Parts: sequence; C-alpha cells; structure tokens
Amino acid sequence: MDWQGQKVAEQLMQIMLVVFAIAAFVTGYIAGSFELMMYVYAGGVVLTILTTIPNWPFFNRHPLKWLDPSEVEKHPKPQVTTSVSKKKPAKK
Amino acid sequence: MHSFSYRANALLTFSLTILALMCAMASLTDNFNSPSPTATVQILNVNRFQKRSNGDDEVAITLNISADLQSLFTWNTKQVFVFLAAEYTTPKNTLNQVSLWDRIIPTKEEAKFSVKPKNKYKFIDQGSNLRGRDFNMTLHWHVMPKTGKMFADKLVLPGFRLPESYSYR
Amino acid sequence: MGFIGDQIDSLKSLKVRQALEQVITLGMIVSSALIIWKFLMCVTGSESPVVVVLSESMEPAFQRGDILFLRMGEDPIRAGEIVVFNIDRREIPIVHRVIKVHERNDTKDIDVLTKGDNNDQDDRVLYAPGQQWLQHQHIMGRAVGFLPYVGYVTIIMTENPIIKYALIGALGLLAITSKD
Repeated sequence: MDWQGQKVAEQLMQIMLVVFAIAAFVTGYIAGSFELMMYVYAGGVVLTILTTIPNWPFFNRHPLKWLDPSEVEKHPKPQVTTSVSKKKPAKK
Repeated sequence: MHSFSYRANALLTFSLTILALMCAMASLTDNFNSPSPTATVQILNVNRFQKRSNGDDEVAITLNISADLQSLFTWNTKQVFVFLAAEYTTPKNTLNQVSLWDRIIPTKEEAKFSVKPKNKYKFIDQGSNLRGRDFNMTLHWHVMPKTGKMFADKLVLPGFRLPESYSYR
Repeated sequence: MGFIGDQIDSLKSLKVRQALEQVITLGMIVSSALIIWKFLMCVTGSESPVVVVLSESMEPAFQRGDILFLRMGEDPIRAGEIVVFNIDRREIPIVHRVIKVHERNDTKDIDVLTKGDNNDQDDRVLYAPGQQWLQHQHIMGRAVGFLPYVGYVTIIMTENPIIKYALIGALGLLAITSKD
C-alpha cells in the first residue's frame, strides 16, 4: 500500500463506518427493531473490513519513485545514506 | 507503519466506538416515549387472616389484576418487570412495601393481561397492625432496556382496607 | 570503522529509549484505568460502580456476563429496585431485586428482603444463618444502567486463569514490541 493508498484506506474506513452506523440506526429506529440495527451495522463492518483491510491493487496506484542508486554515487554525502536507510523500515 | 494488523486494529477500535455511541443513542431515544399505562386491581377474597406464632399478622388474598402496559415498550425494551405491592404505614414504620405478585413481560403482545392470582409472596406485617388497615395497592414496573438506562415508575391505586377481625378456620 | 560504531551506539541508545517509552506508555494505561475507576467511584458514590453479573438468578433481565452500572444515591431503597448486596462472610456480592421494604418511623432504618427474578424462593436462604432482613450497610448500590455481553471476558478469565495469564502476557508483549 502506498502513501496515497493509506490515506484513502483510512478515510474510506471512517466514512464507511459512520455512514453504515447512521443507516443502521435509522432503519432500526423506523422498523422498531434493535436487532435489525445490529445486523445492518454488522454487515457494514464486514463490508468495511473487506474494502479497507486487504491490500487491494486500488491502493497501489501511486508507487514511490526511489532515486537510482547511481545517483547516490554521484553525490557521496553520508547524510543521504542515513536518511534513506532510516526511511526504509518505516515503509512496511 | 500501515500494516495489515495496524489497519485491522484501527478498524476494530473505530467500529466499537461507533457501536457504543449507537447504543447510547438508542438508549436516549427511550426518553421520547411517554407511556400511559392503565391498571385496575381488586381484592376478590380474603382467604385467611391470622396472627402468626411470633405475633406478626399474615393475610392471604386472591387478587384480580388487569393492566395494559403496552405503551411501555419501545424498540430498546428487553422486558418489563411488573409487580404489585401493598403499601401502608404503621405506628412503628413510616413505610411498608410488601410485594404480593410479580410477572416478567417479554413482549409487547403480552403486556395487556388480566389475571386472578393468589398472593405469590406472603403478606406479613412487622407486628400486629393489619386489622382494619387502610392501604394502597401500587403497580410498579421496571423497564429493562436492551442497552442503557433502566426506567421505573408506578401507579398508585388507593382505597383498600383489610377486615377488622381475624378469620376462623 | 568509527562510523559504523557510532551507528550501532545510536541504535542501542534508541532501543533503550524506546523500551523506556514503552514502559511509560504501559504505566500510563494502567494509571488512567485506575483514575477512571476512582472517578466513577466518586461520581456514583458506590464502592464498585461497575459489576459483572455472575449468576443466572436474574434471568431473563440479566444474563451471565452482562455489565451493570451501579449508583448509591441519597434516595431510600424501595421495592422493585435491583440492588447489589454483600452478606457478611460471603465474598461475592449478589445482584437481586427488592421485594419487601419496611422503613422505621424514628430512625429511618430499613429492613429489606430481596429475591432473584429467576429464583422460586426469596433470599433468606442466602442470608447469614438467622438473618431475616438486609439493612442499609449490606447494600453496595443499585443498578441504573445495563450493557449486555461485555463482561463475559472477565468471566472467562476468572474461570480459566491460564487464559488470563496468556492474555496479559500477549498484551504486554504486544505493548512492548509494537512500534506505533
């Protein structure tokens, strides 16, 4: 998942859950059934899990463009190597 | 940072927070319900009226209770617990509440009923004060929600009086 | 090789710092839980503001694992209320409904009799030998709110200590190793 994808996934998760919660509450209240509210919300949670948790290709449309290693050799600065090596584990 | 488990954790936390919020809101909607239950209670017969060996008065009665508690039910109601209590004051006690009968109502359909039970719990006074005693019948109900706040209220039915003398067997 | 040595040193110090941070985070979680608990005690005026239902004696109102919110309050105890009481020499508090109340004229002392909705008999069999009534000092609070199922975890944990320790261990490990 790339940076853009992470942002989208997080926002999508929150929006979907809130929308489903509102929908569940309204249907449950109108139908007068607490159980119906729970089922609608449970369905919404499952759908949200399926949409936002797996690493869909949809979330990887903006891959990072890493500098070519040859670039580093052209500008041999120690700071550059450390900052790159620190960033890498943060990617995951 | 943004791994599979991180996303799963965030989703779980967020969904549970919203669930708690939904339950709280469901409990709040109960406040919009303004119930208007009705009930009538009669004493059909005083079956036995005596002094126990320790000096306390005891009465056994047959009741006739009909009530319509359907308006108490909302979408967040799990059950209604209804009970009938005799309430009276004696020289020694400012308040005596003695439950005589109770019932659990699980659905709205069963909330309109008419029964003729004997007292389910013993009607015993703390002392010997029941002869000719005026008392109120109070029909109490406790609404158990599916989640959230419990509600309770009562209907006071005054004007009951016990016999002046013990019964003979 | 001085450059690599520096790197390793900085990494090491980072680890120590991180570990310390984790310990502090863990301590914060524990202390904030304690603060919430004590705060609830203050607000509700009850010794244990939240209890988990352990028995089936109040079904169908309360099932095992449901959570009750308690409040003591100034109002006198009345019939129909669900109270939590503690019998002398009995460790586990009981949650039952009040069916009889006698309030004294002069001292305002109360005598209370309770019964579980699902029980056939009143609670005199549960009280201490010879005890006929509950007094005010036995009552820890009255139930005002209700949340289903949430307390079931604690029942599982008290019944299977192994799961409890496994869970605590796993959570501790997670808190220490996670790098969020």
